[in-house]
Amino acid sequence: MAKTKSKTKAENQTQMVKIYIMGSMYEVPSSLTIMKAIEYAGFKLTRGSGCRAGFCGACATVYRKEGDFRIYTALACQTQVEEGMYLTQMPFVPANKAKYDIDTLDPIASTILRYYPEVARCLSCNACSRVCPQEIQVMDYVQHCLHGEIDKAAAVSFDCVQCGLCAIRCPAEIPQYHVATLVRRLHGKYNMKPPETLEKRVREIEDGVFEEGFKELMSLPEDKLRHKYYHERDFVDQKKA
Amino acid sequence: MKNSYFPGCNLKTEAKGFEQSAIAVSKELDAELVEMPEWNCCGTVQTMTTDNLMRRIAPVRVLSRASKHVKELEGSPNQVTTLCSMCNSTLKIVNAEVKENPNDLEKINFQLENDDLVYEGDMEVKHFLEILRDNVGYENIAKKVTNPLEGMKIASYYGCMLLHPEKAKIDDEEMPTVMESIALSLGAEVVDWPYFKQCCGSYHIVDRDDIVNSQVVKIIRNAKKTGANALIVACPLCAYNLDNQQVELEKLGVEKDPIPIFYFTQLMAIAMGLPQKVNHFEDHHINPKTLLKELGLLGKKK
Amino acid sequence: MSYDYIEFGESEKEFTSKIEEISGQNIFSCYQCGKCSAGCAFSNLMEKTINHTMQLVQLGKKEKVLQSNTHWVCASCLTCTVRCPREIDVAAVMEAIREYTLRYEPETIERLDLPEELLKKIPNIALVGSFRKKSEL
Repeated sequence: MAKTKSKTKAENQTQMVKIYIMGSMYEVPSSLTIMKAIEYAGFKLTRGSGCRAGFCGACATVYRKEGDFRIYTALACQTQVEEGMYLTQMPFVPANKAKYDIDTLDPIASTILRYYPEVARCLSCNACSRVCPQEIQVMDYVQHCLHGEIDKAAAVSFDCVQCGLCAIRCPAEIPQYHVATLVRRLHGKYNMKPPETLEKRVREIEDGVFEEGFKELMSLPEDKLRHKYYHERDFVDQKKA
Repeated sequence: MKNSYFPGCNLKTEAKGFEQSAIAVSKELDAELVEMPEWNCCGTVQTMTTDNLMRRIAPVRVLSRASKHVKELEGSPNQVTTLCSMCNSTLKIVNAEVKENPNDLEKINFQLENDDLVYEGDMEVKHFLEILRDNVGYENIAKKVTNPLEGMKIASYYGCMLLHPEKAKIDDEEMPTVMESIALSLGAEVVDWPYFKQCCGSYHIVDRDDIVNSQVVKIIRNAKKTGANALIVACPLCAYNLDNQQVELEKLGVEKDPIPIFYFTQLMAIAMGLPQKVNHFEDHHINPKTLLKELGLLGKKK
Repeated sequence: MSYDYIEFGESEKEFTSKIEEISGQNIFSCYQCGKCSAGCAFSNLMEKTINHTMQLVQLGKKEKVLQSNTHWVCASCLTCTVRCPREIDVAAVMEAIREYTLRYEPETIERLDLPEELLKKIPNIALVGSFRKKSEL
């Protein structure tokens, strides 16, 4: 960023806000995301940052605002800073992940209770749904699990990015995001139609349809390989497609 | 008439036969059970502490969701109907508690506020047995019977949750008659027995099955002694304990000749000649078809 | 000849009033008629009868109350509650003793050990109930 040269000038022009990171006050430009503000303040993020695009779920943040008793949560890379935020990062949430062989299970409620019996402790307090930065109705899918409605649970939990904020807020100590993974796996394995094109392609690979082509590629010298990769490849125009 | 119906978790899993037979029967009797679109666990078993509001959030949430649902149902009174007697008891008790303590209700509503829900304390909770007794009437049940249950000698097992405590009981706690009256209107015989509300051991099945076994032995022996050849229940947990533990007790060599356990709605479905598949007899541990075949009650249509 | 004096000091008082607070019941209302124990379906499995437990709570004998399995064997069927002539919610007192342990001495509870085979077939209503009564939340 070309900010360093005209820093004072930029700072004069940009509206600044006061935020608190781990208890210390910093002034940062109001246009920044929480993640960029933390870096602007001089911290280097080694954990708690990943894709920076709202998909990986590594940058869960917990904050309060001045004069407001509520706890707020967000993904740091997706949320703009506000005046008076008290921030801390949640780079990791400890939670036990069950081990299972997906091929031997049934898509029913007792499967979920077998690996995550704590699901039965749900109090329907909805704290999980309130903290979810993806706005998933977490409590609803936990309840769907308890009722054995695997399809609904899989659909409701689909947007989960595994940030773990639900699990850290839950008074019943349920690791919701791991439960959701199990549910979606069960749904994919047992309730959904297998994709025809994928099966066809796997069969083609097994039948050796691409063997010749691969051999040819492997035998090419590097410069020809480069040429093929950069100039001869078919690029699909995303806008037209 | 349409009734807003709260299923509870077990009616979707182990007790599918209870739910589906009840819905089929309710349609026949013009008291249709319409499932709430969104619902959560009722929060069973109800907490008896004075200060733990956390555990009362779930039932109040159910009540507030139900009050939304009844507004969408035409001509429905402000009431939610349950099948499971544990749900019934939990919802009734908490409903009474929050009506008595508006301060508690306010605190719980504060927790629901972010979810656009509020409970005004304006709902009543009914068990399906109450609907059958008070709204439908036994004579109207009898009119629909095409396949009278001749030869069935039924012991009505209420369990504790239908009759206790004062706030939640659906009938006289020492002398209930509702299940017997329904069985009689189906053309069955009923037995008079003292163990109709002896606790089955309830949730102890999880880690103390010895407690449950000692109860099941007492209950079943007494039922047999009075000549009953079947038990009817209104609670999925009673049903599981009595059904599954009889099989276990047979394996242990404690008690032979298990007798089948029915949900009262399953027998209603049979007596009314409704399709067999609503009863989900495959989920039972003691095959009820054996008795029904013996008595020639199986497969008759209306 | 020696006498055991009944002590009712600060610690006894504290336990009794805590149970009263959690249950919302007047413990001292109990006059030991024994109807609760007589009606209880589980009396034969309890180390101390219910009315005995009630008396021990009146006396603030915390150790004796908590050592006994009485409140854990109770299945909350409420027969005692509906039969009590003094209108004490006896089952709520049992619940309060369980809650006392769960809130103040959770380390003394044996954690529920749930084998997979059991979890496969147990109805979820039983699990929900069991967690609510026997695990700290």
